[in-house]
Amino acid sequence: MIKFFILLIILLFNYKFAISRNAGETEITTEDGIEVFQEDKYYLLKKNVEILSDEFNLTGQLVKIFFEKDLYDVKELIANDSVNFLSEEYNIRGKGEELRFNIKDQKIIVNGVNSELFLEKTKMLSDGEISVDNIKGGFFIQGSNSKLLSDNIYISGSKINGEFEIIDGKRNIANLVVEDDKKLNIKTDGIIMYAKKAIYDKKNSIIELFENVQIERGSEIITGDYGILNTKNKSYKVSSKNSNKVKAIITNTNE
Amino acid sequence: MNFLLTFNKTTLLISSFFIISIICFFISFTYIQAKKIADIEISINNKTADISKPKFSINSNKQKISVTANEGNFLTENEIMLEKNVIFKSDKFKIYSDNVLFNKKSLIASSKNKSKFVSDKTSIDSNGFDIIENGNIINFKGKTKLILK
Repeated sequence: MIKFFILLIILLFNYKFAISRNAGETEITTEDGIEVFQEDKYYLLKKNVEILSDEFNLTGQLVKIFFEKDLYDVKELIANDSVNFLSEEYNIRGKGEELRFNIKDQKIIVNGVNSELFLEKTKMLSDGEISVDNIKGGFFIQGSNSKLLSDNIYISGSKINGEFEIIDGKRNIANLVVEDDKKLNIKTDGIIMYAKKAIYDKKNSIIELFENVQIERGSEIITGDYGILNTKNKSYKVSSKNSNKVKAIITNTNE
Repeated sequence: MNFLLTFNKTTLLISSFFIISIICFFISFTYIQAKKIADIEISINNKTADISKPKFSINSNKQKISVTANEGNFLTENEIMLEKNVIFKSDKFKIYSDNVLFNKKSLIASSKNKSKFVSDKTSIDSNGFDIIENGNIINFKGKTKLILK
């Protein structure tokens, strides 16, 4: 009798898996139907849409899926309204008001307020647009409240353009160009930087800062027109077109 | 003395037999009555269809969809209720359903019954469908499941 109940419990717990999709299949469910546009070659999925596949899972309220010649040959999807995306295969998860995913090219674009995209430990946030080219390794964040956060770096600016390189199967930031009409902000290893434009070159281990530059470390604040920081030894230099313009403020915190 | 032991066994047995017999009689009576009503309803519904094995087609520049069913009944001059084993078939897909309202003038088909769409490596299960624009747009209604293989 006890064995029977144990078997029954096991069956109940595995019921969902027993009726779920097979490997290689994509299962799409909706609450309010699917429209198939044969000439325009897309599906329109309506209300509480859930997509489950080997590569990714997605939920949203309105989803357009574009196919190529055949109905099963899906190339791109555009999901709207409370979109959540998770891909264990590509190690990417994200959410936003609108998400575009080109399945063939592995390009992801998230649009709208409070957009988020996580690539392993790198977090991208924006109220505008976040785009990632997973094959080429490029990414672009633009709009207000755009931020890039990783293990030991915080970057905010209205335009963040960068590239990843794969080392030991993990993505690492290789190059970065950050711009902001007002002031961008970079925080790393106890150094805070402000400027209108910053360029990070991993190969040469330098961060260059342009216009309205301000570098802060502890009680030391240095301002100027141009700054360069060596990310290996943490040394930095600030200069100005006008030699009188460089300004250093050192506050004695022991006073 | 226990109250139950005061009953006469024979009386108890006979009473039980009668009670069970009455219950069985009522159950049988109710069942027979229900069956008679069902038989009457079936005989009423079993009228001859307007068209037997109707066949239509929806033609466009890009595809031809043939429509077949076991029975068809005219609702109006142009509207036909296709019933039993209704199949929409084109080069690319088939749609199966049991009740489909088909307008032979506008070539619009509509169903509120469970429907199954089958194509190469693709299947759709829904609670009805509309075929509009000569088959260019198929709208699967209600809770719908799409499987891509």
